[in-house]
Amino acid sequence: MSSAPRQKRAYTLGTVTVIYLLWSLVPVAIAIMFSFNSGRSRSVWQGFSLRWYTWDPQGSVLNNESLRTALTHTLLLGVLATAVVVPLGVLFALALDRWRGRIPTGANFAVLLSFVVPEIALAIGLLFMVTWLATPFELGTTAQVVGLITFQLAYPVVIVRARLLTIGTQYEEAARDLGASPLGAVRRVLLPMLYPAIFVSAILVFADVLDNFVLVRYLSSNAGTETTSMKIYNTARAAPTPALNAIATLILVSSFVVVIAGWLAYRKWGRSDGEDTGLGAIATM
Amino acid sequence: MSDAEQPRSPLSRRRLLQATALSLPAAGLLSACARDSGGTGGSASSSGSSASPSATSLQIASPTNPVKWPISAGNEPIAAGQNPEQGGNLQLYSYADYVAPDVIASFEEKYKKYNVKVTYSTFNDSNEALAKLRGGSTPYDVYTPSYDQLGKLVLGGVIQPLQQSYVTDIGNAYAEFQNPFYDQGWQYSAPYTLYTTGIGWRTDKVSEDVGARPNPYDIFWDPKYREKLAVLDDTREAIGMTLLRNGQTDVNTGDDTILNAARDALLEMTTLTKPRVTITGYTDIPEGRLDLSQAWSGDLIAALGYLPQGVKPDVLRYWFPADGKGMVNNDLMVIPKNAPNPVLAHLFLNHLLDPAVALANFQYVGYQPPQVSLTPEKLVADGIVPANLESALVKPGYFNSGYRLLELSPETDAKWQAIWQQFKAGA
Amino acid sequence: MALFFAVPLYVVLCVAFGTVDPLFRTSVPVWNPMQWQFTQLATVFERIVGPENFYLPPVLRTIGFVVIAVAVCLAIAFPVAYFAARHAGRHKALVLTLLVAPFWISYMMRMLAWVNLLQNDGWVNKVISLNGLLPTEQNWLAGRPTTVILGLIYGYVPYMILPLFAALDRISPSLLEAARDLGAGGFDVFRRVIVPMSLPGVAAGMLLVALPMMGDYFTNDLLSGSPGTSMIGNLINNSISTPGQSGQAAALLLIVLLVLAAPMIWYTRTIAKSEVRS
Repeated sequence: MSSAPRQKRAYTLGTVTVIYLLWSLVPVAIAIMFSFNSGRSRSVWQGFSLRWYTWDPQGSVLNNESLRTALTHTLLLGVLATAVVVPLGVLFALALDRWRGRIPTGANFAVLLSFVVPEIALAIGLLFMVTWLATPFELGTTAQVVGLITFQLAYPVVIVRARLLTIGTQYEEAARDLGASPLGAVRRVLLPMLYPAIFVSAILVFADVLDNFVLVRYLSSNAGTETTSMKIYNTARAAPTPALNAIATLILVSSFVVVIAGWLAYRKWGRSDGEDTGLGAIATM
Repeated sequence: MSDAEQPRSPLSRRRLLQATALSLPAAGLLSACARDSGGTGGSASSSGSSASPSATSLQIASPTNPVKWPISAGNEPIAAGQNPEQGGNLQLYSYADYVAPDVIASFEEKYKKYNVKVTYSTFNDSNEALAKLRGGSTPYDVYTPSYDQLGKLVLGGVIQPLQQSYVTDIGNAYAEFQNPFYDQGWQYSAPYTLYTTGIGWRTDKVSEDVGARPNPYDIFWDPKYREKLAVLDDTREAIGMTLLRNGQTDVNTGDDTILNAARDALLEMTTLTKPRVTITGYTDIPEGRLDLSQAWSGDLIAALGYLPQGVKPDVLRYWFPADGKGMVNNDLMVIPKNAPNPVLAHLFLNHLLDPAVALANFQYVGYQPPQVSLTPEKLVADGIVPANLESALVKPGYFNSGYRLLELSPETDAKWQAIWQQFKAGA
Repeated sequence: MALFFAVPLYVVLCVAFGTVDPLFRTSVPVWNPMQWQFTQLATVFERIVGPENFYLPPVLRTIGFVVIAVAVCLAIAFPVAYFAARHAGRHKALVLTLLVAPFWISYMMRMLAWVNLLQNDGWVNKVISLNGLLPTEQNWLAGRPTTVILGLIYGYVPYMILPLFAALDRISPSLLEAARDLGAGGFDVFRRVIVPMSLPGVAAGMLLVALPMMGDYFTNDLLSGSPGTSMIGNLINNSISTPGQSGQAAALLLIVLLVLAAPMIWYTRTIAKSEVRS
């Protein structure tokens, strides 16, 4: 049980981790930096400027309609998808937890499948479905939201279920013993205990939807349904200006704002539990 | 807990049998739910295709076989003399960077009192665009194809005939576009841009004079330029160029021997020079990411606007056969049948035929408009196009000498697409 | 919800086993399984194993890319996850946050960052050539397999770190103490206790990364413009809107799903079981 080799190992591993973190995050930091470049180049620094955010007459995010639309549409999809997926996922998780039998097992199976199915398979399947079947919606925002819901449902279900499993049934039983109805027990006892898990899953879903590429691209219709990720894909090898870095940075900032807001809310509501299950819950996926 | 063993059962034989048993009624259910394909006339139902045009009814238009398309009963031109749609949002569908922002802005300004807006959606290749248009779920107002799709667009009921009284400026274009071989009487289309397909490069990266070679197209097989060149990401253009390099002159051939030779040459190119496959030459060449590329003439003129600081415009070069025996084509503007703003669409076509607007468009997009007043001599004399890129201008004589990329019959198209697929799969 | 997976899958089957419109050459799905046509499937199959098997190089190439990328991901992710799980101490939350950060950064943005850096006049070339002093500049974005593999690694390695972290974190320290009490040295503890216990997590992490990577096409599109590095995802993506070929794309997709079905099902069953166990 000597600690010297252990310390040396910690040191080596720590160095590896630091190098990894730098390799992982520095390129992005450079991309963010260049969004403030005063010239057109994305590799030669020409001075600091907000040109690509505000004042360039045709190329800035503020003035260029296609960039602006990409930004707003991405945020719209994020909000819509999260607003539907999280409640739906919580319901599913509760159902799966309470209901024994083959159907929930099959549903559980399908939910977990979306972690490993290549996204292109789901995207093409939905594209064909919308194109060939008389679905009540067409390609475009609705189709994109439906696709995103299907793909993201797994997150809240898994996270909330993991939390449910650790909570167990004793709190609800106690509530019912004290006279609450089953629904009331769920609503007033269980749900508040689930808030941390719900927040974590909402954050994850929102951030993931903002990044989504394959699904939204196959299910998009015209320029009004283009997202930031599609814009980057379409433009990156053509004639990109730092404005592309700018919209990417703005989306990044949106993600972070939501994450921080969620984390603050989690601290406010979750810590009273005494259990640090948020991050652990993510990790148990 | 029995749950731990439960996961085995979803995959059991019983489930499989259940699934199979369900599939037949499911099939019935789904075919009842099948969408009427796009509502644009082509039929996808299994109940027979008597209403849909057959492959045999597709006439292939060519300079020696001009075609006047029929106007079918349900698809007549809109009424003349109407006002533009109030508050309309014109849906423009074209390649990226193919319509100048200034031109769009001037259109919105011109019809400001009708509160007009323009939304510019883009596609990467014309097949993808045709699929979207046929699907019908996204209505567009103006579409810019080439005439190699026109037959399918007309027969498939995808586009509407023009109400020519809105497009008075057609007189500004070359007279032959009022009766082109691919659309006699310009019933369905107005001309958009003219272009040739040749080779573009920067002289400071490529020291030789590409045009001086006995067979300039051979440069794509020259290992000296390995990893530094590109061919166009366009089935017809890339394979067509290979045919020309092989000494063929029919760039619309369906002959198996000739096509197989082209396929083998393309695969050989992959191993010899590892070309990139892209349509972004108009930025890649000036910005130095490519030394040399197969390019459309307009790409090189547009490239003038993408040169980095410190690089002079005279490094750009474009080669096209001096005798005009190369690929010469023009793009069109058409109006899809389900256009939400047909009057505005017609007015937009007219707008682009105005000489001042066409010139402004040219200076951004780089592709030459078929304007009578904008002759190649004038463009060079006025300094709009530098002398080193004079070869990128389309001279009127080219239309007689050049090779046109005509529409292909479905069987021939299938052969070309198969070669392209094999090329893109990479050896 | 299973409906949302089953119905699209069935439509894909109907398109793959369907026919082609004679004029436009768009796909015509055939709904009745009795009338399914297998020509498109046969064509695709031939292209993989038949005499003119030009699908085979991209298939092999994809497998090669994925194997290399997953191996390197593992080599990077394991030490990092191990550090975060066992050595981070009071900085654990911070380290974990930093490791999770790439999830909140768009994949496209991360690739864009690398496209910028790998340009011929980008920072990578500037660094390795000491700003033009040495002639060691490379044409990174000109169709290099190395670039594509590095892109895949960069993009997917965060997805492996979390499951590995979870697996390593779950190993209780008392177990390791017991092993040491019984006389095992440091390396033995690692080899005989930690590695076996983390294997399910390692396998899960590898699948979580490898399976989506098999369908990836955009990494190749962004980092290489050349057909020489095209992957299975590119074959599918390129054919899906091409007239006459979307049915083939559907058939190829089905074959891919079939091949990947076993690992996909193994993964979901393992996770489902471990959920119940915990």
